[in-house]
Amino acid sequence: MNDDEKFFAWLDGELGPSEAAEMEVRVAADPELKRLADQHRALGSQLRSAFDPIADSPVPQTLQAALRPTAQVIDFGAAKRARSMPAVAQWTAMAATLAIGIFIGTRVPQESSAPVQAEAGKLYAAASINRALDTELASAPKGDVRIGITYRDSAGEICRTFTAPAGSGLACRNSGRWQMKGLFAAPEGQGSDYRMAAGMDPNLAALVDSTIAGEAFDEAAEKAAKEKGWK
Amino acid sequence: MDHLSPFEDQLAALLPRLRRFAHALSHDAADADDLTQATVERALRSKAQWEPGSRLDSWCYRIMRNLWIDTARARTRKTAREAPEEEGLSVGEDPRPGMEAAVDLRRVMAAMERLPDEQREVVALILVEGFGYREVSEMLGLPIGTVSSRLVRGRTALLAMVGEA
Repeated sequence: MNDDEKFFAWLDGELGPSEAAEMEVRVAADPELKRLADQHRALGSQLRSAFDPIADSPVPQTLQAALRPTAQVIDFGAAKRARSMPAVAQWTAMAATLAIGIFIGTRVPQESSAPVQAEAGKLYAAASINRALDTELASAPKGDVRIGITYRDSAGEICRTFTAPAGSGLACRNSGRWQMKGLFAAPEGQGSDYRMAAGMDPNLAALVDSTIAGEAFDEAAEKAAKEKGWK
Repeated sequence: MDHLSPFEDQLAALLPRLRRFAHALSHDAADADDLTQATVERALRSKAQWEPGSRLDSWCYRIMRNLWIDTARARTRKTAREAPEEEGLSVGEDPRPGMEAAVDLRRVMAAMERLPDEQREVVALILVEGFGYREVSEMLGLPIGTVSSRLVRGRTALLAMVGEA
């Protein structure tokens, strides 16, 4: 460590007690060093005053949202009371749904294992997604498709959110089948492990928010609903 | 009901500081928030690599710094070169009280932006974020002497740029 570095290490409280005491004496005896120390202390506090307001300001929603784990049940009832979904979000959700519908419709029409089927202009869950919606409980996740939350919509039908490797979505009971209400592709470059940890797609959350009546089911209610065949 | 796991919980508590560091690395506010978001996403994906009991803050700062190097360094250099030096224009001319202090802060931020990346990150980590030399040396994978000499050069250049007010 050269003299400059030693001086600054002293200023930053990085020297051991004996070296610090030595530097203390030198600075006290040298007006030039003393002035430099004052200038650099002032610079340090200027830097902190410039940047601290950033740490003191509220963290944007988008950043906070990135932290929400999927399994965690958000209080959608309260969320709904607190805010209504902006029209833009609804259109985004619909556009995303359509895009996926077209994708599935054109790319995998013959595939019997396709997890979504189009019939008479409606999309229904099939294969692995249908199986998961019928049988899985959020409290006992297994397999590729995970169930998020279960609730009744304003029409009184049971709806469930799910996360599959390629995306997440919402399906509601309609004449004994799971009709897809929304399907959102996983963001570009983000594997399912990320989504599992990072939480519900904001578009999906908005869709749930706009359809839920009351609160999401707890573990017991979810189980009871399964036993009654999701009626 | 609305609870995060301990890892996410700690990460959430770090967000304000991570944003501050992002703003020191990237002068552009939108870039800084993108960088913070990318850091959170990377941290969540790499959760298994974090050793419980070790400092999560250092780990996240390192992720952010590496992401910054990977994705944005070239762009920052360009921005820094082209940055107008408008902050000097109103100095001493605006009679409103408090303006002088605000100009000083803008000057110090603008000066930070003009530092070479390797000096700016060390200055930000030690003088703004409050890490010790040893912590920064481990975080950046640099010898402590390198950290110390970059810090000397960075803060000396900063002082020269903001003027001996």
